[in-house]
Amino acid sequence: MPTPSPLTLSNFPRAIAHVDGDAFFTSVEQAIHPALRGKPVVTGKERGIIACASYEAKALGIKRGISLWDAKKICPGLAVLPSDYETYSIFSKRMFEIMRRYTPEVEEYSIDEGFADLTGMRQVFRKSYRDIVADMQATIQGELDLTVSIGLSLTKSLAKIGSDFRKPNGITPVAGKHIHIFLQRVPLADVWGLGLNRVQLLQKYGLRTAWDYVNRDPEWIRKLLHKPGLEMWHELRGTAVMPISTDAWRPAASVSKSKTFSTPSSDRDFVYAKLIRNLESAFIKLRRHQMRAGELSVSLRRKDYGENGLSTRLDRGVTVPQEIVPVVRELFGRLYVPGVDYRATGVVLSRLKDDRHRQFDLFDNPARIEHARRTGNLIEKINGRYGKHRIFLGTGLHLPKGDGNDRDQPCWRKVNLLDGETRRKRIRIPMLDMEV
Amino acid sequence: MSRREAVDSTAGNVSTQKKEGRVAVLLEGVRTFSYLLCMPRTIDLSEKLSQLRSFNQQEGRAPSYSEMAQLFGYASKAAVYGPVEKLIDLGYLRKSANGRIAFTSKITSQISILGTVQAGFPSPAEEELLDTMSLDEFLVARPEASYLLTVSGDSMIDAGIHPGDLVLVEKGGSPKQQDIIIAQVDGEWTLKYFGKDKTGVYLDPANPSYSRIRPKSSLTVGGIVRAVIRKYK
Repeated sequence: MPTPSPLTLSNFPRAIAHVDGDAFFTSVEQAIHPALRGKPVVTGKERGIIACASYEAKALGIKRGISLWDAKKICPGLAVLPSDYETYSIFSKRMFEIMRRYTPEVEEYSIDEGFADLTGMRQVFRKSYRDIVADMQATIQGELDLTVSIGLSLTKSLAKIGSDFRKPNGITPVAGKHIHIFLQRVPLADVWGLGLNRVQLLQKYGLRTAWDYVNRDPEWIRKLLHKPGLEMWHELRGTAVMPISTDAWRPAASVSKSKTFSTPSSDRDFVYAKLIRNLESAFIKLRRHQMRAGELSVSLRRKDYGENGLSTRLDRGVTVPQEIVPVVRELFGRLYVPGVDYRATGVVLSRLKDDRHRQFDLFDNPARIEHARRTGNLIEKINGRYGKHRIFLGTGLHLPKGDGNDRDQPCWRKVNLLDGETRRKRIRIPMLDMEV
Repeated sequence: MSRREAVDSTAGNVSTQKKEGRVAVLLEGVRTFSYLLCMPRTIDLSEKLSQLRSFNQQEGRAPSYSEMAQLFGYASKAAVYGPVEKLIDLGYLRKSANGRIAFTSKITSQISILGTVQAGFPSPAEEELLDTMSLDEFLVARPEASYLLTVSGDSMIDAGIHPGDLVLVEKGGSPKQQDIIIAQVDGEWTLKYFGKDKTGVYLDPANPSYSRIRPKSSLTVGGIVRAVIRKYK
């Protein structure tokens, strides 16, 4: 093989950083509970499965996704915490705010990772791109007590691979003239967007690394992996084709809500009320993102973990639960078997569409839709002020009072309420857990 | 908007409305159909009023003709003329000396959010509130770096920080002489005055029963105290 030559000679025609929180959930826990620093910590107690493992736990072989029981076997002294998504979200928002101090173009890709387009910011900060991201990393560490790993390159795909390259607390700049060296060290499986199936397919053709991938003819790539594969090919060669999306994150495909009962039940009214409560929760989320649903699925999980579900297409986009309760009632009637113990119900809303603009169909009844929309807005407004599910559909009366989270695993923040805080509403500033 | 006006008039099977000398007949059965085609124009003044009120609430002034056209969903400014004349007759709007449209107290007085300003003169409260800040802004200068911590010890009692008080802590800065800080000294977390002299850094309590601490091996600054919060029943 001839000595590879650079793909491009210019270093940073664009500068895109990918910032990735290191073991984000457990790092947040260690930031607010200093006593847990340096110790193996996992979150996910309420689910029985590890959602996140700290680097100390990972070193012992405890990974995301294994059961708590297995983890405890590996490390009996393991600190197991219930998830505190409220605090994780506050830290996440703060991380993105800090990133926005360096550039307005920030994409909140998920709770613990985001992209920042720094192109042109060297003049503002009078620093190299590498020094700007080093600054960003130090500020996040200083103000949030979190370490992040940052990849810096010409495209989102290269930056994303870069942030995984040195972890934790790493910085991996890949300048244009170094792309060809970098890609030779990246196995196909580490390329963002190449799943197991695609990797196996490419291996059939003798490809091993990202470098092999970009040296193939683009036409060949397009035939094998279609447009996404070709976009990846360009991105890996340093030509940015994926835009940084500064819009707030919106669910693309579906919104689902599922909750397990504290004890399995065969009571028809109770199980149905639980299902309707999930329906309401799903719509709260849907409405927050200003979307409407075109498909509905409901499912009932039995005590023996068997599951039955039904789904149906809706003849128009729906934005309020009360509009489709009759449909849910019918689906429930077909699924429910008397005398069987159930442990969970679930609702999935899919075929989502933007609800910020809508056009009525010929056979719609606009007055009724408008009425439902206004009722929905009003209920949302009242619940926004007095707490979730304050106004609910009548079936909810079959739920026991104060039936909030079923599993009895509230996080530290929720059991240490300040005077005036409630189970529903707390101050939006993280609490530190230390004795001073 | 002009389309929806007709739909909103849900008065039984056949509704006849007389507005501006025009008569509009709506049949329940053809409503959806006629909605899509050309609608007979009926004017819902109460909807216009609520649109004007919310405009006033947001902008603090009366809209121009072209803004009203946009607000009411009309394609041309000329269409605004009708409802405006009607609202002037009813005393909701008036024409000012330079020919511009102005609100009367019938519109402006409705928006007083405190409910204390009597109808009859425009509310000055709204404008005065623009230059105020929330308690949040007052206490939290750097929102991304701020945390809350409940104090348990009494080592800062003479500085007015009592057990059970909530302190607002800012991370990421370097403490100055006499700042109250949270620090980890030789493994223990503590709340003290920060100080520096020729020998090095030290921590001072605000309680005569404790004495000055000089870290033996390490000192980690956990944050600087920016405020103390205590609620009384």
